[in-house]
This record gives sequence, C-alpha cells and structure tokens, in this order.
Amino acid sequence: MDAEIEEMNKVVEMCAFCRCGCCKDECPMYSEILEEAISPKGRNFMIRAILRGEVEPDERAIRIAYSCLLCKRDEQSCTAGLKNSEATEAFRRFLVENGFPLLREHGLMAKSLENYGNPWQESKAARKRWAKDLKAKKAVTGKTDTLFYVGCTFALDRTLQDGPRALARLMDMAGESYGLLLEDELCCGSTVKRIGDMKLFEKLRKENEKRLLETGAKRIVTACAGCYKTLKQDYPGLAKKVELLHSSEYLERLVKGGKLKPPKTMLKVTYHDPCHLGRHTSIYDPPRNILRAIPGLKLIEMKNSRELARCCGGGAGVKTAYPEISRKAAIKRLREAERTGAAVIVTSCPFCVQTLTAAAESVGSKTEVVELAVFLSRSLDAEDGGRQ
Amino acid sequence: MMDKQTHELVRKKLADVLGESKVLWRRADLAPYTKDTYRIRFEEEYKYFPDVVALPESTSDVQSIVKIASEHNVPIIPKGGGSCRTGMLVPIHGGIVLDTIKMNKVLEVSVPNLYVTVQTGITLKELEGQLSEHGLALNQEQGSFRMATVGGSISTSGFSRKHQKYGTIADRVMSLEVVLADGSVLRTGPKVLYTSTGYRLHQLFIGSEGTLGVITEATLRVEPLPEAKDALLAFYDDFWAANETAQRVMASCVTFTGGEAFGVEDATEYGAPAEKKGLFYIGFEGTRGEVDAQVDYVRRMVKETGGVLAGRDDTARFMDRYTIQWCGARALTGYEDPLTTYVPMERMREFYNKLYGEIMPRYDTGPLPGEKYSLDVGRYRIVAGRYHLPKGEKAWERYQMMLRDIAELATSLGGSISSCHGVGLAHRDNLDLEYSSVALDTMWAIKNALDPKNIMNPGKKLPPRRK
Repeated sequence: MDAEIEEMNKVVEMCAFCRCGCCKDECPMYSEILEEAISPKGRNFMIRAILRGEVEPDERAIRIAYSCLLCKRDEQSCTAGLKNSEATEAFRRFLVENGFPLLREHGLMAKSLENYGNPWQESKAARKRWAKDLKAKKAVTGKTDTLFYVGCTFALDRTLQDGPRALARLMDMAGESYGLLLEDELCCGSTVKRIGDMKLFEKLRKENEKRLLETGAKRIVTACAGCYKTLKQDYPGLAKKVELLHSSEYLERLVKGGKLKPPKTMLKVTYHDPCHLGRHTSIYDPPRNILRAIPGLKLIEMKNSRELARCCGGGAGVKTAYPEISRKAAIKRLREAERTGAAVIVTSCPFCVQTLTAAAESVGSKTEVVELAVFLSRSLDAEDGGRQ
Repeated sequence: MMDKQTHELVRKKLADVLGESKVLWRRADLAPYTKDTYRIRFEEEYKYFPDVVALPESTSDVQSIVKIASEHNVPIIPKGGGSCRTGMLVPIHGGIVLDTIKMNKVLEVSVPNLYVTVQTGITLKELEGQLSEHGLALNQEQGSFRMATVGGSISTSGFSRKHQKYGTIADRVMSLEVVLADGSVLRTGPKVLYTSTGYRLHQLFIGSEGTLGVITEATLRVEPLPEAKDALLAFYDDFWAANETAQRVMASCVTFTGGEAFGVEDATEYGAPAEKKGLFYIGFEGTRGEVDAQVDYVRRMVKETGGVLAGRDDTARFMDRYTIQWCGARALTGYEDPLTTYVPMERMREFYNKLYGEIMPRYDTGPLPGEKYSLDVGRYRIVAGRYHLPKGEKAWERYQMMLRDIAELATSLGGSISSCHGVGLAHRDNLDLEYSSVALDTMWAIKNALDPKNIMNPGKKLPPRRK
C-alpha cells in the first residue's frame, strides 16, 4: 500500500473514531446540498464503508467521491487536523486504479488532455494565440533565466487572456527578461491529478517537467494558482532544481524593488484567496502587499479571508460535475465580497476569476472581478507616473 | 428493517411528496446516517442502516413523511446536526431518518418582544449570526455549537456555557410547533414567555429525543447584545484548589455567564507556570460598569484562594478554544467517552474518589490525561470527565456494566446520570435508577398517548415497557 492510500485509511479511521462533524461548518458543498454524504465526515464514512465492503462503489458513490472541492476549508475546523481533502483525492485515485469509470464530464476532460495536452479541447497551436501581439519571446536554452509558465486556462480561455498579457506587460515595464514555451507548453496535469487519474497525470508530468527543465531556466513564474500548487507539490524535486514563483510573489518583488510604481488611486478593493494559493500553499501576504503598495488604495477584508476564505466553487472538477452548486457557492462568496463595499474583487487564479465573474454576471452585480496582474497593470495606467 | 415491497412503496410515496432529490436510499448515501457519536457495540458498526433518509423543507413536508410512516408502521428518527453522544440517532429498527437540516429558516425576529421563531434545523451558530444583525443573541454556546441545531439542542435539553446568566435552551423555549405521530400539528401555546393558562406542553418536548413528535418550529427568548464582555482565567496547584474559587463564586451573589474548574496536564500554552495543574475560568456580560465590578469582585476571590491570573490575550485565546476542544477530540484520543453526571456539590469529592478509586479500576480503565476532573460552575453543576473505554474480551459488555455502576453512584448521591447529552441508547436501561416505577409508567403513558404505534424514535430514551 502506498503512502497516500495508507494516509487515506488513517484519516477515515480517525474520523470514524471521532464523528464530531465540525468539518461541516462552512463546508461550501455541504452548506449548499445539506446531505450528510456531501460533507467531509459523511464522505469519510462512505469511503470507510466501501473499503470494508459494506457499501458498493456504485454510480452514486462515485458521484459522492467527486462532490468535494478539495478546498481544505474543513481542515480549519477540524481540531485533529485530518487531511480530508487529501483522503478524498486518494480515494478518487483508488477508484480509477480499481477500474471504476470517471464521471462522464471528467472523462471528456481527460480525453482532451490525452489528445491535445489541455483540458479544453483546443489545438496545440491555439496555446500561443494570447501572445500573438507580443514580440518574439520563445524561451531559448541557456538564455532564458525566467520562464513564464502560462497554464492551459489562462492561455486558452479568451475571456482570461488579458491575465497573461498583463503579466507580460508588467515584466516588460519592469525591464525583466523572460521566455515562453508558447505552443510547446503542456498542461501541468492538475485537473487529472484532482480527479484521480494518476496514469495520465504521470505521463503529463514527465513530459512537462522535461520541457520545463530543457529551457535551463533558473526560475519558473506562473499566474495560475492551480499550476503553482501542482508544480510545487506534485512534481517531486522540481522546486529544488528551479525557483518556483507564483506571479504574486514575483510581482511583489518588482513592486518592493521599485521597478513598478503604481500611482495613487481612491479605489476600494477586496482580495479573494484562491484555495490553491492560500490554504494549499500558504501564500496570503504577497498579493496583499502588492495591493497595499498602491497609494490610497483601500483593501477591505471579507468576513472570511486568508485561512478561512470561502472557496469560489470552481475547484477539483466540481464546476464540471455539479455546475449549479458551484454557481451557488460562487454567489455566496460574491455576496460576502459585496458586503465589504469594495468596487473590485482582486484574485490570483484563473478559475476564481472565471467562476466569480460568471456569478457576478448571473446576478447583475456591480462588483468587478479582476485578476491581480490585470489590476496592477491597470493601476499603472491610471496615471503616467507608474512607469519607471 | 422494511421488507422490499414496503421499502419501494414508502420510497415512492416520499418521492411523490418531497421530490426525488430529497429522498436518499442508496447505501452510499445512507452510510453516514448509521450512527451518531455514541459507541455502539464495536462489531455492529454497520448493522443499523436506515431504510430511507427524508429531507423535508417545511412543516407540511414533515406532516407528509409522518403520515406515510404511520400508514406503514415504519419508525421515524428525527435528526438535527448529528452530534448526539448517546445513540439517539442510531436507526436500530431501520426506518426513515427525518433529517431536519434543510429546515433552516429564521421565520420571525421580534425585537420589541425579544423573541425569534425559527425552523428547527437551523444551527445554533447560524442563528446567533443572524440574530446579531438585529442586535440580539440567543446565548446558547454548547461544545457542538457550530453544527448542533435548535431542534437537536431542544430534543436533548442541551447545555450552554452561558447558562448561569441566560439559562440553557430549556429556559429559552417559549412555544413550539410539533408534528405528532398521526401527522397532526401541535402548537404548544402562544408565543409568550409567561402564561398561566393551559398545561406547559412545550416543556414536554424538551429532552424528548424525538420520541414524542418532530419539533418543526421553535419560538425562543432572545436578549439584547451586551454592552461589554470580559473573562478571567486563573491557574492553581490542582483541580481542588481551583474548585475552592468555584465554590466561593457560586456561594456569592456575583452575576456571571458561566465558568468551569478543571484539572489539566499542562496549561503552559496559556501562560501557566509549569507546576499549575488546576484551572478556573469565568465569563461576564452586561453593561460596562457592572462587568467591571464583577471582574474586580471575582479577581479578589481568585487572589484570596491562591490563584494566578492569566494575561488578557491568553484568556481571550483560551475562551475561543471552547468549541474547538469539543471538536476532533476523539480523533486525537481514540476510544473514549465523556461523563456529564450531575452531582450535588457536597458529594463531589466522594463521587470522584469512588469513580476513579473503585469503579474504573474494576474495568481496567481510567481517565484521559488532563480530563480527570471538571466542574461546570454555576447552577448547572455538571461533574464531568473523559475516560478510556474498557478493552479486551467482552469490552462492550464491560463498558455497559461500568455505565451502570457510574449511574448507580451518581443517583445514589442524589444526582442525575446525564445532565445534557440525553439518554438515547447509552443510559436507557439505567433510567430505573433515577426514576421510580410510577414516574416511568407516567412517561410511558404520555408516550402511548402521543405515539400509540410507537413509531417515533422507538427503542430510545425510555427503558423497555414492562408487561
């Protein structure tokens, strides 16, 4: 038995000892669906019953296994610190390895990854379209110190492409040199890892890691919270070979070093912590430090922020498998942001931008959702003084 | 358990009235409803699956469910947050778990009359949050505050650590709406706190553990939010030294929300000197002036009894630990159970001496480190502790024998077996120690009158009917 499965067993056994149910408090899935099985405790019970042969892993059980956002909010409520998200992820893997089919919606995503190297059924060539107006930036082995790893969603979702463009622009403005993989960039594998397809993940990981290392870059910067978590935590040893930075960490350096000097603004903003960036990789301060460095800007925290931030509802395949619940979770988070009185929700993950924007449009909210680099880039435009 | 034909018929009828999505029947969905936090016989962990779980959203939904159950003579197990400690929620005869968790609306907040009417599936935490927006509070803080529901708390006569100033949930109930076993709706009385008309029917349902009907609405007394709050935390050589302050506080006229004295292994994380193994905390709420005066008054008592006061930050941090301590405790400690016995103050030392000196050694068990002594300070005098369950051969039988011995001890000293966790399965067969046969016959007469078919949570709370 490998370590992840062993850990899953420990978690479900300990949860069965305890059964307190504190994990249900603020669980975004449970609080919408209100069924015991759709909670970390309930899911643990089900997993344990399946492992003991008391419950058949039928279609319903599989759907329950995929009802978790893997947002880790429950770990803030569980005194014993049970790693329920990790147990659920391991259980998904257990299902796949034992021949149980993926949910149809997830199967389509996996197929796309196999065929195109991205989950969005887009051609390989489509990956470089976002950069068509940029000067040639292809990474050159031995000459590229900083590799900008864009990620599938930023590169391929046309509504999000202002994100990588803004980051590229900020790098240019700060006089930083960087390289891109463009059409040679491959998915990090986060999506398939979260749904338990380890065979496909390993295939993607090996090829992707090879391409990343072949550039000879000393650091890799990504603006995608999901890619960042995956490269940092699911690519064993990569973080020792290269410096891995989320764009918020990278931009914080540029702002602190005086390379980007945003002018004064009177804007009120709030910051939404993406789960993959906050609870998964403990990056809370860099994005806030960037915002605080903008003179006059008022950063107002939501009732639940940092470790306690509510998930936007966009993670771990839930948006695909449970679209209506995902939408409700996003609206709940949006309402929380609206209560701060902020005009803008700044966040630093393409999925959070996507999910919260859709929620804002669906309820006709006046609050705007803006990706961090886009926000900083816009701030620099507010007056000319932003440029060096 | 229902036979196959009844199961299909009941499922179909429930789905017709509630909709398919509010009727759960696949085993993957039912597994989490097989038990609450009570230790059922270890080898029977997966023995008791409910046949169906129904998720009503309204009183009329509940009526429909109860009528279907009554028609087919099928048990109903009403459920709230699921944090019960005594087996009240274990579907020992199968049947329908009626999960009230979707009945979570605040129906009316009356600021001038200081009450709130809610559907009973709302959690205490959610309700406090909504009330605070009106400048009000229910002031019910039990360990399971974050997931316990109003209905669950009423059904177990739950504890609140602010009981001394605000009472427990039993003192908050003004009026209830209950769906009885024949599907009719009982309103127990007007939404007033004091009346001298009629029988006080709402009291009958407090602590009734779902055996008399399904509580669907509750009107609860609320209070304006206090102007000021404060707390004191003090360290002592041992529990008995902390108890000295507790007893003096209780004998004084000072007003406080609640408090606790207990023995600890190590309180250094809250700034205690390493040798201090006793702890006392107390909370205050009210106007600024009265809270300041109360704090001064008790601070003097602490000093006179040799207590060492903690700093402000440590005290605040400690007070926040309350619901956290409840959560996750068992995952960290393994097989254990808590006591919530009520023991007259003058017999407390005798109780603990016999409990740990005679009873527990008989079963080769003992208290968890740092959980040996605990007293809730105020009128609600829970004398508590947490202990390891017996292990080895016939472990479960010996556990039951030990519970009987503890019940015998508590009742012989003039106390009660369980002050706040209810009876469920855990204490059911020991109730004869606390109640006379006339009292138990009266309880059964009430049960028979309200639930003649015995479909409301059968096999819980009352010891089996005598022939």
